[in-house]
Amino acid sequence: MAAVFKKHDIEATLYAEKQDIASGRLKDDNPLDHSEGFRLLCEACRRGDLKICQEQISTGVNINARDRFDYTPLILASLCGHYEVVRLLLESGALCERDTFQGERCLYNALNDRIRNLLLQYDYSKSTDPLQPLAGHITSLLAREHPNTSDISVVTDGREFRLHKFILSARSPFFENKLSVAPETTMWRLPNSIPSDSFLVAIKYLYLSEMATDLGAHSDDEEQATLTGIDKLSRQLEIERLFEYILERGDRRLTRQRRQDEVSRGRDQLEGWFKDNVIRHKVTVDKEKANEVRWDRSNGIFADVLLRADEEEDECEEDGVIDQSKLTVTKTEGPLNGLPIGNFDSRSRSVSRTRRKRKSVLYPCHRAMLTRSEFFMTMFSSSFREAQQTPYLQIIPIDCSPAVLEVILTYLYTERADFDLSVAIDVLFAADLLLLEKLKARAALIISTLGNGAASIVEAADPRGETAEEEVIDIYEVVRAGWDTRMHRLEEFGARYIAYRLERFVDEEEFAQLVRESAARIKERQETDTVELVDDIRYYLSERFRLRMEDAGLEEMMDDQDIDALASTQTKPDLDPTFADVIPTANFDQDEGYAADLETVAVVRTLDGEEVEDEFSQDAMNYQILLGKIDGLLDRLKLDA
Amino acid sequence: MRYGQGINGDDVDFESVWKTLDTAFTQIHDHNASSLSYEELYRFAYRLVLKKQGEKLYDKVKAFESTWLREKIRPQILGKLSPSLQSAPQDGVGAGAAATTNERREAGEKFLREVKDSWQNHVVCMNMLADVLMYMDRVYCTDNRKPNIYATAMNLFRDCNLFSPTGSDPRSPSVLGVLNGVILDQIQMERAGDVIDKSIIKSCIYMLDGLYESNSESSEQKLYSTSFEQDFLNVSREFYRDEGEKLLRESDAGGYCERTMARLKEEQYRCRTMLSDTTTPKIEKVVEEELIKNKIQEVIEMESGVRFMIDNERLEELGLVYQLEARVDEKKSELTKAIQLRVVEMGTAVNEAATTTAVPGQLPPEQAPKDAEAPANKPGNPQTAAAIKWVADVLELKDKFDAILNHSFQKDTGVAAALTRSFSEFINSAAFTRASEFISLFIDDNMKKGIRDKTETEIDQVLLKAITLVRYVQNKDMFEGYYKKHLTKRLLQKKSLSMDVEKDMVSRMKIELGHQFTQKMEGMFKDMNTSDDLTRNYQDYLQSTGSEDPKRVGLDMMVLTSMTWPPLGEDNEKKFIFPSEIDRLRKSFEKFYGEKHSGRKLTWLPHLGTADMRVRFGKMHEVNIPTYGMVILLLFNDVPSGEYLSYEEIQAKTNMPDADLIRNLQQIAVSKKTQFLKKEPMGREVNPSDKFCVNEKFQSKFLKLKVGIITNNNRVETDQEKRETEDKMEQHRGITVEAAIVRIMKSRKQLSHQQLILDTLDQVKAQFKPDVNMIKKRIESLIDREYLERLEESNPPAYKYLA
Repeated sequence: MAAVFKKHDIEATLYAEKQDIASGRLKDDNPLDHSEGFRLLCEACRRGDLKICQEQISTGVNINARDRFDYTPLILASLCGHYEVVRLLLESGALCERDTFQGERCLYNALNDRIRNLLLQYDYSKSTDPLQPLAGHITSLLAREHPNTSDISVVTDGREFRLHKFILSARSPFFENKLSVAPETTMWRLPNSIPSDSFLVAIKYLYLSEMATDLGAHSDDEEQATLTGIDKLSRQLEIERLFEYILERGDRRLTRQRRQDEVSRGRDQLEGWFKDNVIRHKVTVDKEKANEVRWDRSNGIFADVLLRADEEEDECEEDGVIDQSKLTVTKTEGPLNGLPIGNFDSRSRSVSRTRRKRKSVLYPCHRAMLTRSEFFMTMFSSSFREAQQTPYLQIIPIDCSPAVLEVILTYLYTERADFDLSVAIDVLFAADLLLLEKLKARAALIISTLGNGAASIVEAADPRGETAEEEVIDIYEVVRAGWDTRMHRLEEFGARYIAYRLERFVDEEEFAQLVRESAARIKERQETDTVELVDDIRYYLSERFRLRMEDAGLEEMMDDQDIDALASTQTKPDLDPTFADVIPTANFDQDEGYAADLETVAVVRTLDGEEVEDEFSQDAMNYQILLGKIDGLLDRLKLDA
Repeated sequence: MRYGQGINGDDVDFESVWKTLDTAFTQIHDHNASSLSYEELYRFAYRLVLKKQGEKLYDKVKAFESTWLREKIRPQILGKLSPSLQSAPQDGVGAGAAATTNERREAGEKFLREVKDSWQNHVVCMNMLADVLMYMDRVYCTDNRKPNIYATAMNLFRDCNLFSPTGSDPRSPSVLGVLNGVILDQIQMERAGDVIDKSIIKSCIYMLDGLYESNSESSEQKLYSTSFEQDFLNVSREFYRDEGEKLLRESDAGGYCERTMARLKEEQYRCRTMLSDTTTPKIEKVVEEELIKNKIQEVIEMESGVRFMIDNERLEELGLVYQLEARVDEKKSELTKAIQLRVVEMGTAVNEAATTTAVPGQLPPEQAPKDAEAPANKPGNPQTAAAIKWVADVLELKDKFDAILNHSFQKDTGVAAALTRSFSEFINSAAFTRASEFISLFIDDNMKKGIRDKTETEIDQVLLKAITLVRYVQNKDMFEGYYKKHLTKRLLQKKSLSMDVEKDMVSRMKIELGHQFTQKMEGMFKDMNTSDDLTRNYQDYLQSTGSEDPKRVGLDMMVLTSMTWPPLGEDNEKKFIFPSEIDRLRKSFEKFYGEKHSGRKLTWLPHLGTADMRVRFGKMHEVNIPTYGMVILLLFNDVPSGEYLSYEEIQAKTNMPDADLIRNLQQIAVSKKTQFLKKEPMGREVNPSDKFCVNEKFQSKFLKLKVGIITNNNRVETDQEKRETEDKMEQHRGITVEAAIVRIMKSRKQLSHQQLILDTLDQVKAQFKPDVNMIKKRIESLIDREYLERLEESNPPAYKYLA
């Protein structure tokens, strides 16, 4: 841990930083932002509204900006104690750098230690630029021999560079023109007057590599020659920024900012290129004919493989061919349907259905980018069919819907992962299949932030779960997906989601089934083992009511009557936060009798006269009733916990 | 106990999926995979794992591999196993029971190739399977802490093939055992000179290196280490034990060493190209132990051993011996011992040769010194020549061993130190006591004659050698005494060819032996310089005082500080009567000197001086003659022609000591070349009864004549002289020891006897190696003279210094 900075030290640094920013030497890490979107984000951070936060972040609001009170969203969220929001912000790239003014402010303002520790974990020096994995992959293409993904070789004085047309075309206008005229070029010779070292630097720049501090030259003369070469090249290839980029190699922070700029510019170029070429050239054909599509190896967009995704069956089911019972089944399984249930499965099903032409979408892709997924890397390195050279491009089916495939491709090519909740679970599974951990985490994040429905507006603001809005997601499916893909975050989210609406789920048969499944997840179950899902639900349940009761307690605890009221409803142990998540179930065995249903609560309420008392004790009673119901369920399932 | 399987309605049909996978895996193993779709297979496996069928899948794959290996691969391997292979390892290596080596080699290669091929195929297939089952490895194996499928399959290969018995009898040797045997057999064939297919063995070894004894993959558990390596080392040890015996019987020491070296290289190369680098040190150790450690002594002591190599300058072979022994013994003790023994032997031989030739009469005629200029004086010269020859021999010996040390022993410091010890040993051996004298004579000879016509570097070489020898001498004081004596004569007689070289030598000695050692010699040089100045100043003085006398006799004198120089002869000044011309000169100089340095006493040493004089015998001759000779001749200036002076008269007029008188008379009255006087009666010997007159008939074709002074030549001392020198030395040592004792006691006041002896030894060891008895005697003597006193009550005995 670095030594603690004295106040005057920090002030001096702050002043110097402001000077630098004013003179334009440095870019402000936290620029002032008056936009409406940013205002909304700040508001949501104050309230702790995950959903709005996620929505605003996906619209591209700068989360490191500051409002007119000099607050950044991260400071607001940590000051107001919204753990989930802080996590979301950090995961989305909010900066919390130690030894900077704003960073220390965040830490200092954190409401509790839990948030403070979270902030410390995400110290900038440890985390990396979110675009680094993309840049790193592209750089690594330069050195990777196997599988060979290069499709053009550039020969300079004595050296040969094996490069990728699509990257050259995306990054350099010169190459773009040249290659659009002659896309089949496989060889390009550089004039001998340009040193190999210069070209190497240019290539590294194009491939988003970090610049070494020296140019590899051994003498001043050589360095001069290299620089001259770079100057020439940067003009020829129309990448004028290169030269500036090379010259700015002194200051660390400046270098970092420049690199970030350059990487995000590179990403934008790739993204543009991706949209204009890959997405625009996708082919939709009938499923039956999909495998007969012939793409030439030399094509205008330099694709070397075709990925195929088949449209979901749901769409054809609109025709009402399938009976109602079948429909419900597919609904619960929902997007899972598009997943590799396997040919055997869909085959058996297609028999019962009238033939309707399903469409397939083919995306022309570049293996160089696909190998970001270890699945493709292994595939193209192996000796299976997919790795073989064929006269026409190989068509590789990917078991997901076209929409999902597009999300995945977008992620692979651009690192962008903003997608709709409706495809999130499908993306989750597809990412699991393709071994894309980051995308999985992203899908889980989207589900757990956006999936909360209207209830998430303020955590625990509404303990009675009265929002009867339409569900956005099928929570059972989410929990199961969480289990299957080992995303703990989704299990947590599911437990919380259910806990806050327990009265709605607790009597459903499907809930019982879910509990049973959770119990079965522990192998060789012992009598004393708990059911993880139930434990989690209990925890969130106590959180849901505790917060509420604490609020009340702060205002009213002095009143003797309140204490009596509390005692009479036996909620006293729950008031102590330390007991909140270890409530002894034995306590409530005796309650079996009266904790029958919500109606009982209503009776209690009507019997009690006062308004405040009423709501408060109602909460207490509700809590008891819900806990009792869970115990009853466990009894029924013979899962003594 | 599973509830949740059916809920999604997607329960996968494990059997049908597995069937597809099973077919695909079979195709992969049949090298028919190019038409298989990776995407499809991966998706199937993924589905199964996602649907909690990971365990079932894992077990199925395991079972599939086991079956495949057991039923397809094992028979193939066993099929290549001919009976000769199974028997070979048991019959003892190289015995080659029924089959000829060639047949066995071919059969072995076939077997190895099969093992290698099946292994490599297995690896290729399992890599593909592992690719397909990647999701299972990631999820199922990680969650359940199972080894990944690749590692599992490798272990299966081991269990199903290598560990399985070769025959139907479960006790028959395992495939692994046979494999090891075959590889070892092949290696033995290679050792015997056959050409074998290394790449196959390399592949098999690589396989063993990649497999483990048990499923825990610790590096000590590698099959290579646990099963093959030990066998290999054992077989090798036996092989080299036999080979060592055979070589000792059949070849000479040089050949043995060459062979051993070649074997070592061969084993290193084998480890590098076929086996594992980790084995290199182990097999080297085996070879070292069997061929070097257990045998090197015998090799060194062989008839063609180290002694033979030294005598015949077999530098390469010596180098080999050195390198070999260096591998097993850091101190190279056997070799060092042999070398030391030889040095002392040869040194003693040199000593003996010198001793015998130094005895008059036994000198073989051809060894007579050719460069002896001085007129014959038989007993002296051969002995001096012997001394010089001794030094030359020792130096030659030194050169020889230096060459060996540099060329063969890589300038090993340990051996160098041992060599120094051995040289020192024979040079200082009790049987040979003349080393100091001989070395000094050698230097003397070089200073007077040897360095003439030599370049600077050559001179440098000579000095260097001389110094090296001086370093070996233990009794440095003895050497100092001789050196001073010889130096004195060189200086006084101006025999040195170059003062620069003289000074160079002294400064070298100063570096080597210390300031103390050369103090007096430096003083001598200084005296020479001041004398030159003095002579010049005296000349100037004479001119300035106007006492220039045309008939004056020129004076070129040396003023020597008596403490610096060794004793130069008896003090007979009172008796000696200078002729009047000379006496005037003497008085004049004494006056001059007295003015310059008051309080100094000059003692004249005429027997050391020479004079230049002109003599007229018909024609003029310029004669260089000893001062005494000059005085005698001057006497005859006053004697009328034809008259005689008797021996007694001469002595009475000069007070010259008998020995000097006789010697000088011999030179000027007997020696033909310079017979200025006639002796009556004629004869070689000069007797006190003789009388002399001027030899009017003396004639010589030379204008310049020199009357030699034989006695003053440096030469080997006669035994009597030597005894005198030694006595003097003994006295001097006594004084040195006493001085040391007093110095020590003065600073320490009280000291135990033991400590005093030690300290004293320490103080004087730079000059000589004193006898403890002598120190004791000196202590006694000091007690008698009341410098010290015994502490009566003290135990252990101690002394106290009396102020």
